[in-house]
Amino acid sequence: MKHFNCKVLTALAYLILALPGNLYALQFHSNSEGIITHQIGHLFFLFSMVVLMFIISGKGLAIHKGWRLIQVSAFFFILWNACAITVHFLDNQIYAVSVERLANGYARIRTQNNSSLLGWVYYGLKLDHLLCVPAMFLMYKGLCCLVDEQKAEKGQTL
Amino acid sequence: MIAPYLPMVVIDVLGSFTMVVLSLLCCYKAGILRETDRDNALFLYLVWISTGFMIFAVSRAFGHILMQFLILTSHTDTWQMIAAFSGSVNTVSFMLVSLITLFFNQSWKMNEKILRSRKKLEAAHAQLLSLNQNLEQKVVERTEMLTSSEHKARRIFEYSLDTILVTDAHFKIQEINNAGIVLTGYKKKQMLEQNMGLMDFIAHAPDWNCLLQQLNTNEYVLNEECDILNADNINIRVLISGGVDYGAFGCAKTFHFIIKDINEKKQMEQQIAQADKLAALGELSAGVAHEINNPLGIILGYTQLMLKQASEFEEDLKTIEKHVKNCKEVVSNLLSFSRKGSRKMENVDIHNMLNGVINFLRNHSDFRKVQIQLNLWENECLWVKGNAQELAQVVLNLMINACHAIQDNPAGFIELATQKENAHILIHVRDNGTGISKQHLPRIFDPFFTTKPVGQGTGLGLSVGYGIIRNHQGDILAANRNSPGAQFTIRLPLVNTNSNEE
Repeated sequence: MKHFNCKVLTALAYLILALPGNLYALQFHSNSEGIITHQIGHLFFLFSMVVLMFIISGKGLAIHKGWRLIQVSAFFFILWNACAITVHFLDNQIYAVSVERLANGYARIRTQNNSSLLGWVYYGLKLDHLLCVPAMFLMYKGLCCLVDEQKAEKGQTL
Repeated sequence: MIAPYLPMVVIDVLGSFTMVVLSLLCCYKAGILRETDRDNALFLYLVWISTGFMIFAVSRAFGHILMQFLILTSHTDTWQMIAAFSGSVNTVSFMLVSLITLFFNQSWKMNEKILRSRKKLEAAHAQLLSLNQNLEQKVVERTEMLTSSEHKARRIFEYSLDTILVTDAHFKIQEINNAGIVLTGYKKKQMLEQNMGLMDFIAHAPDWNCLLQQLNTNEYVLNEECDILNADNINIRVLISGGVDYGAFGCAKTFHFIIKDINEKKQMEQQIAQADKLAALGELSAGVAHEINNPLGIILGYTQLMLKQASEFEEDLKTIEKHVKNCKEVVSNLLSFSRKGSRKMENVDIHNMLNGVINFLRNHSDFRKVQIQLNLWENECLWVKGNAQELAQVVLNLMINACHAIQDNPAGFIELATQKENAHILIHVRDNGTGISKQHLPRIFDPFFTTKPVGQGTGLGLSVGYGIIRNHQGDILAANRNSPGAQFTIRLPLVNTNSNEE
């Protein structure tokens, strides 16, 4: 058996080294693949947050303040994801907006067709932390409420 | 369009930092929540989701702060190189959060299952607790019942007036109650140490063989009558009932016996039978005596009339007169026995009467070699309603019989004692003679029964005495003493002393 394996390996080495040719098995990945993956990630995140909101309602957990706050937190994360998807779409996919930092603490926002409205919308969307920080804060408060409820329940039991 | 750049930078940096802080706080709170109930799958889910958010926040904050730093320090090219990596890590982190989030439903189901299992477990625990409490209660109740039952059984065993005896399979005594100790006269310790058995107490071997045979055949005996030999070598008549017991687990064979002392009852029955027999004999004797007395009177009268005239048959007539007189005496005795004789009843001082009897006997030749002990009740004078002569005759007769029983024994003695027992006086006549044989004892008061040779006694002395005492509402009993000799006891009702004084 050992002798047979050696023969097979020798034959394979010969075929690889002595008979080279074009290889088409590996797929080529373009530059845009990264941003699409990122966008799909955001969509997945958004979808999961929608699911979380509905499940909390569906399971009747919304009667608890803690879960209600987590539900609102999920809603803010949905908004944040939507915001992030839009920004990435504008500047990384269709290149409709670009930002150039100026020396005096200002930035020039260039938009297609010089649309001022699009510029300000983009500027607003770039401040996405105004959505994700409250979302995270609501998540924290929700957990705080759940801890308090749980402790109160334990205290009653005791 | 121109817009302020600083707000974008500040919000980006501060927001990133705040996200990190808040995510860490979320992890901390989720950890506390998990600690409150480690079996809750939803809390575990919140720990995981908080951890996911923390990874997401840290990776994103790192990317954003680095980006702002590099751009502000004019290293835009460097950022361009890192941006792809930062973005990828960021993508992976929030995809991780998304994945964890989608596990909510499974976590919920797991939690439901855990809660159901916990409820079932709690219900089972409560049921088990209840069962345990019931069991404890039942154990307490059964223990009380068992203790009560044991107490009753022990009380019956200890305080029974009949002997209760437990033996092993070889009839060796294992347990015996106080009545048994009194009956046998042995101490319990002695019986156990000497490994005594029931067979050691049965007086006659055939009785024991009969008991053994019945036990082997039927595994029980019921009211078998036999004699028990006690520690003082006295036979006691008993009824034995008993049976086999194989124990609670059927492997420890023992015998349980109940032994009933019927000695007194037997004696009483014998006395009653004796009294009935003597009463019947008395009736018969009275009838016969009455019928014979009249012809004897006529014969005696005519004989005496004929003797008044000189005749060649004078000697024959005197012989007839002598034997007729003997016959009349016998008839008179028979009448005394049957209580048909006439007598004068008065208050009799018993001690006075007995002293008279003793004084008379001391002068009698037969009593000179006999020691007579007189133990009279010293506390008070004892009076009975009766005929002093008849009573003296009875005592005299008993004393003479006692003297004959002693025969020529130089250490012979006769004790005459009185004793007060409630409203009766007991007069004991005891001797250390030959005693009364067992077969003679039931017939000793029968008329004409005598153990003396023919011609030496009529056999009417005791029967006449019996008749006299019965006529005085009293009893006379005969028995053998434990030591050699016999004892006769006369029991007479006392009269009220006050009425006597009047």
